[in-house]
Amino acid sequence: MTDIAPVPNPALPNPALPNPSAPGATRRFVRADGPDKVTGSGRYAADLQLSGMLHAKFRYADVAHGRITTLDTSAARAMPGVLSVLTHADVPDVRYSPGISDRTLFAKDVVRFEGEVVAAVAATTKEIAQAAVDAIVVEIEPLPVVNDAEEAMAADSPLVHTDWESYEADEAVVRSGNTVSFSSITHGDVEAGLSAADHVITSHHVADASHAAPIEPRAIVAQWEGQKVTVWTSSQVPFDARAGICQTLQLPTNRVRVIVPHLGGGFGGKCGFHFEAQIAALAKAAKRPVKLVFSRREEFLAPDRRREGMTVEITSGVKNDGSITARKARIVIDSGAYASDAAFFPQLAAMHVGGPYKVPNVEIEAHLMYTNHQPSGSVRAPTAPQACWALEAHTDQLADTLGIDPVQFRLQNCVTEGDTGIAGQVYGAIGLKECIEKAVAASDYGAELPDDEAVGVAVSWWPSFPGPSGAHVKIDDDGAGQIITGAQECGTGAVMTLRQLAADEVGLQPEDFEIIYQDTGVAPYDTGATGSQTLINNGRAVVRAARQIADELRKLAADHLEAAPGDIVLADGSAHVAGTPTKNVSIPELAGIAAGGELLAAHGSAPPLDYPTVAATCVGEQGVAGWVAPQFACHAVRVKVDAETGVARVMEISTAHDSGTILNLTGALGQVHGGVLMGIGQALTEVTRYSDEGLQMNAGMLEYKLQTAADAPPITTQFVEPGGEGAGPEGAKGLAEAPNVPTAAAIHNAITKVIGTPVNKLPMTAERIWEVQQ
Amino acid sequence: MTSYELNVNGTTYPIDAEPSRNLLSVIRDQVGLTGTKEGCDDCECGACMVLLDGQPVNSCSYLAAQAAEREVTTIEGIMTTEELAPIQQNMLDAGGVQCGFCTPGMIMSATALLARTPDPSEEEIKIGLSGNLCRCTGYAKIFDAIKETVVSL
Ligand code: FES
Ligand code: FES
Repeated sequence: MTDIAPVPNPALPNPALPNPSAPGATRRFVRADGPDKVTGSGRYAADLQLSGMLHAKFRYADVAHGRITTLDTSAARAMPGVLSVLTHADVPDVRYSPGISDRTLFAKDVVRFEGEVVAAVAATTKEIAQAAVDAIVVEIEPLPVVNDAEEAMAADSPLVHTDWESYEADEAVVRSGNTVSFSSITHGDVEAGLSAADHVITSHHVADASHAAPIEPRAIVAQWEGQKVTVWTSSQVPFDARAGICQTLQLPTNRVRVIVPHLGGGFGGKCGFHFEAQIAALAKAAKRPVKLVFSRREEFLAPDRRREGMTVEITSGVKNDGSITARKARIVIDSGAYASDAAFFPQLAAMHVGGPYKVPNVEIEAHLMYTNHQPSGSVRAPTAPQACWALEAHTDQLADTLGIDPVQFRLQNCVTEGDTGIAGQVYGAIGLKECIEKAVAASDYGAELPDDEAVGVAVSWWPSFPGPSGAHVKIDDDGAGQIITGAQECGTGAVMTLRQLAADEVGLQPEDFEIIYQDTGVAPYDTGATGSQTLINNGRAVVRAARQIADELRKLAADHLEAAPGDIVLADGSAHVAGTPTKNVSIPELAGIAAGGELLAAHGSAPPLDYPTVAATCVGEQGVAGWVAPQFACHAVRVKVDAETGVARVMEISTAHDSGTILNLTGALGQVHGGVLMGIGQALTEVTRYSDEGLQMNAGMLEYKLQTAADAPPITTQFVEPGGEGAGPEGAKGLAEAPNVPTAAAIHNAITKVIGTPVNKLPMTAERIWEVQQ
Repeated sequence: MTSYELNVNGTTYPIDAEPSRNLLSVIRDQVGLTGTKEGCDDCECGACMVLLDGQPVNSCSYLAAQAAEREVTTIEGIMTTEELAPIQQNMLDAGGVQCGFCTPGMIMSATALLARTPDPSEEEIKIGLSGNLCRCTGYAKIFDAIKETVVSL
């Protein structure tokens, strides 16, 4: 299995990295949290125990839509061992959620999806807590279930939120009735573009919902001391979790401390604010610490983080010369029962259905609709894999109509430096074209293959998200360094890479730094493990702080060595005078001097970056039409389809990514591999199925079907570093989400080549492939 | 309640537990070793993998009392010296660890695999790990770690 270009360039130390001076090219990556994780000594939230700790259980709605007519907790409250029972009546009557405040901690009168929390219990044992939850009398009068996002758009559809108008919401969110959020992108004159075309092609695509499915089910422990609460939680976004607790329980931020122990994966599923406030409220009422650990089934049903189902209709006009004249599209997205963080999804989906192509005339509208399903929210590159899958299936159809090779068609139409994108953004140096060339060259594209095999190709893009982020860096008296950061490590290695950035500034080794992280009580703000933003934002904060320390070290060394600070070089654990390595002093010695005077302690914050302007008219503007440091990718996938059963098997994947400068090659490859496998799952097996009553029918690992080790194909990865503007240190862009985007699309195109007809349904299960073949 | 002795990583623990308790909960809650993880409690993910007389077993789906009189090995018992075992070190060096939640189970399965098949083929590695779900790594680097361990043993 190779990770890198099969045709290595002997001139470079690592053929995956065109820029050999990039730190990631030469340095072995050592995870600071590695020993904890391979020895089993690392603590995750479910591993925590506190004296007097109680166990929490939730009572759920269990129906998709209804009005609560009876809610009687008296039997539960009377049970020995039960110390607190809470419902909506017991907590502040506050509605929350970013964008649209449509949610309450506990169901208020109406339940809108099966996993909605109606009541919570804390008891001395899990068994008693469960018995108490079962003893709560809940009677629900059924309301009509909105089981489909397209149906939710009908004029006569029942409303999921009858009082939607009364909710507080950002003014930029365009909403009405079941429409949570509407966005459109209009650029040029789409009708004129379509009339100028030689061919106008329309295609229709339906993607089902799926799940983030981290292997760690979430766990939360809350403990009050006086007026302050500490919450240990398996969150990707501790500061968001804190904000949610503060808003719903009406507390100032300095009375809530959120700590994330080791986090067992997230993939977006643990972004947002989930259940921390219910557990904190239970702990307050019981006057004891309380712990919640989710079962796998709860992990599937209750969080407001499902990957959204989507239908897409795309019409494009093309000319016989292979150019695209116009694109029109309509996207309908299933938001589920609440908005979660999804208000920006329509605009983001519109960007992905438009795609990284030169299309002068564009009109794309996207509707995010309430239904009575589990809420959708940011799962790894929200909206993108589905939207890309639809667009790239459509793109192959365009090439096919014109009789042009689909790779050539993409090379002809993809955006390159100086081109204008679908929303009117003009791009700098970007590497999409090179990604296509490299990924395709390293694949079996164009080679003679058996009849049941083919290579499909897809391209994709994804933004980088600049945001506020802070870190402290210090070196103590023995020369040992610490990075104290608000950033959150969810496994990607992004936080782990920070110590390499700090070490490079001060002339120490990464191993000389320890990282204190994911604790809102000690570190400045960071957005969290979301939007692939850690390294680009917190990385800049750490570099800024470490540079101040480096300046201090240079001054101290200059004094000590009787030289000018500007002549001091920090390297290999010591400071020396440039050109005279023998005139040196060790950094621990300088740290010892500093400890008796002005301390080596600094704070850094990521300076804001400007968002590019867009020329398109954007209704429902959510800030995701102009992209800072866009990332690009191309995947070429060889797939084998068994005609008898319809089973598709991925044989090999060739990937090429422009995610800017790669700072940590091991971590970067890990993101590509993990993202690709998640993409294969989404392409072939992962689906959340709903009954006619709006209930999930496969809320378990066995029925949901993640990809296993036995399914994992060989993956090759090439990183393209076009040298354009990055968003992060040394020209880095984000990376964690991008590899998940084009895989399903490329698999679709390979399957279509083998069977001759597009499946146009996601996932492309054996049954669906078989049906299309008939 | 039943009383029995459980041998975990060479240490004998007296246990008093409901007869229905599974081995995972006894290891975590009573023995007090939390390296073994619970990902599903339903034999679907492998995060709870331990060795029972050297054989890999999903401890969530095995009655604790049945493990009495047998040798249980958990992730905490993998190191025989102060140094990381080769499979542990190789998991780190290869990049086979991300969030780490699957890692203890993975290492237990890999250990069992290498004990019964000292020089496994790619296919044998894949089958040997097919009961351990990992959402982070795409498995590739875990395969590499095992191959590296074969070379170093
Ligand atoms: S917890 Fe035992 S297999 Fe998942
Ligand atoms: S490393 Fe996260 S599940 Fe395997």
